[in-house]
Amino acid sequence: MYALSGVTKTYRKGHHAVTALDNLHLTIAAGEWLAIQGRTGSGKTTLLQLLGALDHPSSGVINFDGRDLARLPEADLTDVRANFIGFVFQAFNLIPTLSAVENVEAALIPQRLSSAQRRGRATDALANVGLAERADHLPSEMSGGQQQRVGIARALVKEPKVLLADEPAGNLDIDTRDEIMSLLETLWRDRGLTLVVITHDTSIARRAERVATMRDGRLGIDSGATIEDADGN
Amino acid sequence: MIDRFVVTYLRRELRGRLQQALLIALGLGCGAGLVLTVTAASTGVSDAQSSVLHSLYGIGADLTVTKPTPAATQDPASNATGDLQQNTLQSDGLALFPSNWISSLASLTHVASAAGGLELSEFTQSGGIPQAIPTEGVDVTHPELGSLASATFSSGHNFSATGRSSDVAILDANYAAANKLFVGSTITLAGTTFHVIGLVNQTQASGATDIYVPLGRAQTLGQSPAGQNLIGQVNVIYVAASASSYTPAVQSEISRLLPTATITSASDLASQISGSLASAANLTNDLGRWVAVAALLAAFAVAGLLTTAAVNRRVREIGTLKALGWPTNRIIIQIMSESAATGILGGFIGIAIGFAGSALVSALAPKLTAIIPQQNGAGGTTTVAVCLTTHLSSTAVIAAILLAITGALIAGAAGAWRATKLQPADAFAQIQ
Repeated sequence: MYALSGVTKTYRKGHHAVTALDNLHLTIAAGEWLAIQGRTGSGKTTLLQLLGALDHPSSGVINFDGRDLARLPEADLTDVRANFIGFVFQAFNLIPTLSAVENVEAALIPQRLSSAQRRGRATDALANVGLAERADHLPSEMSGGQQQRVGIARALVKEPKVLLADEPAGNLDIDTRDEIMSLLETLWRDRGLTLVVITHDTSIARRAERVATMRDGRLGIDSGATIEDADGN
Repeated sequence: MIDRFVVTYLRRELRGRLQQALLIALGLGCGAGLVLTVTAASTGVSDAQSSVLHSLYGIGADLTVTKPTPAATQDPASNATGDLQQNTLQSDGLALFPSNWISSLASLTHVASAAGGLELSEFTQSGGIPQAIPTEGVDVTHPELGSLASATFSSGHNFSATGRSSDVAILDANYAAANKLFVGSTITLAGTTFHVIGLVNQTQASGATDIYVPLGRAQTLGQSPAGQNLIGQVNVIYVAASASSYTPAVQSEISRLLPTATITSASDLASQISGSLASAANLTNDLGRWVAVAALLAAFAVAGLLTTAAVNRRVREIGTLKALGWPTNRIIIQIMSESAATGILGGFIGIAIGFAGSALVSALAPKLTAIIPQQNGAGGTTTVAVCLTTHLSSTAVIAAILLAITGALIAGAAGAWRATKLQPADAFAQIQ
């Protein structure tokens, strides 16, 4: 699904340059579950943004299903996000003035479906995460776990190829965290998604098929007892 | 057909940020309302000025031609020996000129019509006290020209076009009431009995003529201060141009034809009018207009700042929409729709403020005065009291709504521009 080669991302902060990603190489197979760990500032969020076509790298190639995301114009990146990639955010990022079903519908706006089709699919997506009875509730009327379920429904309603989750359980208590991760695992398995989860929680990372660790902009793959970089060193 | 989601999102956003939306709408409404109020006041002052001007020369007269009073003029109330003359109809103030000047002026290019008049005084005694009653001979074939043209009949009717030699009179309603006269009464002018056929209401600015008679009778019965008859004489000519844009050209033509005459246009008279009415006109036209423009610009600027600030507070939301695959133009449409709705609300608030402000001006405005120089060349002024009545036209109301919507859209454009500068990744960077 993904093949990153020599990807570097540098930010300008006044007169200083900050290298968030340094010559990164990574391959993610279709249907794989990859967890990425790392300390704050290690570059994992930047990596997720590049995988999600939210930003361009400073150099390198990001091959996504045969297309180089690094070279695509913004309009094409928007199209990729609209149809192939779903996001789950740590802070849920629900629109506070819209109900649960309307928040899920928002993900289908770029696909130009009819109003009835959108509402039907959004209702089904909420039912799949066990929130059919909360369809008309505002985010402020739901618990953190319920809001994250809505976020997951919103990410999956467009039937993406890839689901990118940034600390999906970061704002939840332990019980709810397990609940959400179990839901993600079920959906990943049932739908054959490619799932990338950013987390600092080792217990969550261990659920994945493969774990990578970001350190100072460089990526190392954890293959059990040792940590090796993406080139197998 | 408008997408249901668009309407829902718009409605929810405005309701969710109701306080801010109301604040922006109120600001825009105040700006538009102030413009409306100043417009209403300016219209009222213009109407007041027009009523003063129209009643001076009548509707339809663009120019008035007179001659300066000769330097040495006998006391019009006395004969050659200085004895007081009673029951005489005499010209005074304005000099006389041949009435064939009228046809000369009427034949000029761009002149629609011309009519003559005789401004006289009926000298009489009441209880031993000499009185001079303002009397005017009017051209009955041109009722649209002359000082009688702006009067309104409270009873009776106007002169007929064939009655130029009839002994009929029209009286000022106040003069008639003071002398217990009415339609059907008789009065005596220069020893001749006239039947009253009409009573008219006139504004103070009309020169306070009490008695109107056909020009032909005035010429027959009247006399000059030197005792000469007035047959074939007039002392004022009213000229109507075929279009108001030709007035300056006609004025120039008449000046060439009659170099000794005094030609006064409505704008000349307007420039001579002083008093609080003139001050009010300057105030609304100059200061009022600039204050309204400044208030409107300030409202636009505040709306723009508030809208941009609102977009800044919605960085996460806008970033999320971009992450969901919303194209930038879709997000711009959302922001502009919210702004347009706020602008429409601001327009209605502006109309309410405009009507309230207009009513307040009408209620609280002091009575204005117009000081008008007398046109007989003898100097002196007439002070006329004018009530200021404001009103709003439908055009002004529509303009207020459009102003508020325009301001809101400008503000929305500022916010939309800010939204386009947001990158999905930048938005998330602020919340991580």
